[in-house]
Amino acid sequence: MTTYIVRRLFLMVPTLLGITLIVFTVMAAAPGGISAQSLIEGQNLEPQAKKALEDYYNRLYGLDDPAPVQYLRWLNNVSPAGFIFDDDGNVNSFSFTKGSNLGRSFRVGRPVGDLLAERIPITLLLNVLSIPLIYAIAIGIGVRAAAKSGSRFDVTSNVILLGLWSVPTMLAGILMIGFLANEQHWRWFPTAGLSTREALDMPFMPHWDSLGQAAVFALSLLGFTLLFLVLAKLRATKIRPLLSGSYAGLFVGVCWMIGGSETLFGAVILGIVIFAIFQFVDDSGWRSVLAVLVAVVSCLFVYSFWSSGGFVRGFLLDRLWHLVLPVACLSYGGVAFLARLSRSSVLENLYADYARTARAKGLSETEVLWRHVMRNSLLPLITVSASLLPAMLAGSVIVESIFSIDGMGKLAVEAVQGRDRELVLSITLFSGILTLFGYLIADICYAIADPRVNYD
Amino acid sequence: MTSAGVTHTSDPGYTRLVLSRVLKHRGARFGLIWTGLLVLFSVFAPLFASSHPLLIVNEGGLSSPMLRYLSAVDVILLLLFIFAAVLILIRYAVGRVYWSVVLVTLLISVVQSFYSISPPKLVVYEQYRQDVQLLESQLVLMAPVPFSPKDYLRDAGDTGFLEPLESSISTHWLGTDENGADVLSRMIHASRIALGIGFVATGIAMFVGVIIGGLMGYFSGVVDVIGMRLVEIFEAVPTLFLLLTFVAFFDRNIYLLMVIIGITSWPGYARYVRAEYLRLREQEFVQAAVICDLPLWSILFRHILPNGIAPVLVAASFGVASAILAESTLSFLGLGLVDDPSWGQMLNQAVQSSSFYWWMAFFPGGAIFLTVFSYNLIGDALRDAIDPNSHKMS
Repeated sequence: MTTYIVRRLFLMVPTLLGITLIVFTVMAAAPGGISAQSLIEGQNLEPQAKKALEDYYNRLYGLDDPAPVQYLRWLNNVSPAGFIFDDDGNVNSFSFTKGSNLGRSFRVGRPVGDLLAERIPITLLLNVLSIPLIYAIAIGIGVRAAAKSGSRFDVTSNVILLGLWSVPTMLAGILMIGFLANEQHWRWFPTAGLSTREALDMPFMPHWDSLGQAAVFALSLLGFTLLFLVLAKLRATKIRPLLSGSYAGLFVGVCWMIGGSETLFGAVILGIVIFAIFQFVDDSGWRSVLAVLVAVVSCLFVYSFWSSGGFVRGFLLDRLWHLVLPVACLSYGGVAFLARLSRSSVLENLYADYARTARAKGLSETEVLWRHVMRNSLLPLITVSASLLPAMLAGSVIVESIFSIDGMGKLAVEAVQGRDRELVLSITLFSGILTLFGYLIADICYAIADPRVNYD
Repeated sequence: MTSAGVTHTSDPGYTRLVLSRVLKHRGARFGLIWTGLLVLFSVFAPLFASSHPLLIVNEGGLSSPMLRYLSAVDVILLLLFIFAAVLILIRYAVGRVYWSVVLVTLLISVVQSFYSISPPKLVVYEQYRQDVQLLESQLVLMAPVPFSPKDYLRDAGDTGFLEPLESSISTHWLGTDENGADVLSRMIHASRIALGIGFVATGIAMFVGVIIGGLMGYFSGVVDVIGMRLVEIFEAVPTLFLLLTFVAFFDRNIYLLMVIIGITSWPGYARYVRAEYLRLREQEFVQAAVICDLPLWSILFRHILPNGIAPVLVAASFGVASAILAESTLSFLGLGLVDDPSWGQMLNQAVQSSSFYWWMAFFPGGAIFLTVFSYNLIGDALRDAIDPNSHKMS
């Protein structure tokens, strides 16, 4: 396995070379291309100053050399081992430890490495949060649809997922920001960024002024959760509509009493969601999970207009609050795609011979499904995960520009708009590296999930 | 029975079978209807939405400013549509020879119209509205949506965002955009860009993919290794980044956009084609073709390709969707066409500073969604139709 990984790591080098070469060629072949003239274009300068600035840029970036020379120089700077030049441009020595230098951004004037070190963690945060979420929800829906294939759930979820898959990310983002974050409609979420300015001064965890208030919050959260869980676990199907209806009604009524008509709209929507969950989700496990979620949301909802000051939401909650919409926007497409895939792959295995053997052995249906069928159905899902990461990177370009999050995607758009060659090259290089690592991890996971696969 | 006879009788049978299976799909029927509507809208856009009156009747006689202001692209699209319609009508009546005659005439007329048609450079939309108010007696026939996509309605005075049906002066069914242009009219004209980019970009990608994938699969060995490396490199570049770079550094024009989207998305097709060719190259009919000493292109594209095109067509159907999506994403990020209407660019205007203009999100976004949805539905149905397993199971 180790040799395989090492070999794969070495094979990345020619691919990365190819990627940067393509992007460099595109930029060099563009009419006008990158030259000192194009860098100072638009600045109103006297001829002498102009000439001096052009010379300065030429010396700094070597822009008057032929394109292949420029590319090789860039490559030499970036690679951790390479030649060292003296001031006159002659080769001084060859070093294996010179370290890589990504160069300076044309427009911002800061080292590209610093810029990327700021931006990449933010994009990774979005993606690392989204991917497990995508897989959890998609497998949940897909397995359920396959286990009850032909049922109402299967048919409706199939249509909804196909539709969801076709919703462009920008439309979803704009509708979310327009309706859920905008001042004209419901200001439930922040419109931009990843944290409010005040949140930077807050402590990490949420905290209350007095212990009593914290206790009230904890108790009400507990109360909500218990109340909803009891209802979710209720087996008697005849009483459930009555009870869930009265729960929802009670919730709306209480909200109206405490918060007044302003909160009525949100309360009614939450009430409808509560009713729908208990009424139409006919799987006890799913109902419990959703019930806990709704309990937390409705507790926060009630608390948000009930409590009067004294509560600091802290950095963590603030960050989570900012992340809800971008992560939702980034993951719904993947959920739709993977859920359909996992449905078809579970369906393929559900009636396989080994599954029948397992049933004949006397195993329960859940055990067959989750221990035998699931492991085999995971394989296509893992294969697809390789192409999921590039798709997520592309998605974060859109999501970050809609929600004005300063991540790598937004930086990429800014870089190409400013024709910032060093930045564009580095971003391409890094997204290429991320993509290739995604492929590698997918292949390793494949070997772990399927013991028959052996790369050595 | 000769082998030629076999292919001749069985080939249309398979095509027809697949077609009938696709048409049985409710989703695919919806997708085809929506695509057909879009084709109609894009071909007859100047008839549906134009500030130029279709017909003016006054003392001087008849005149049609709409016709006078048709651009070369308008005329070519109309010509293509009419020729396609004629071809479908006479398909059963004429033999093969006439096809080439028809095609040549078409080509000549396209070239001819490209050079001979030059609509007046200066367009003053307001003039008609003034004329209509001044001369009441004349009969003026307007298009159903009496606004051109670039008619900013400066005479109305209310240039800027207007909600649907909000304006008291003129009726805008879907509101107006930031410049005061009619959204419905812009959407009708933008369907042209969406469809054009979808089809042409996918065509280019398929063309490149089939050639490279075919060579890789047919020759295998060294060609295959080098080709696959190339495919891997192109697949590892995040397509959107490459597109962004292309668009930012080159001119923004629709033909270049088609080419760029096309050449960034060929690797998928090359993969499919290669797999099919690897499977088919060992088959007897290919061996027979080789023994007959047929030229390479004939083996590759006349003998192998028709047998291996089905999975490529499925991929192409999804490819059209993603090409349309790519164009609207670029326009949305402000890197699309500068002046022409595009759905993505309209979507971009929906959220500005702190205001949200819902009609700018709903209608163009809905159009993108429906189009992408249609192609995904068609692709889904096509995949089911050519998959032999799915029919055994159900």
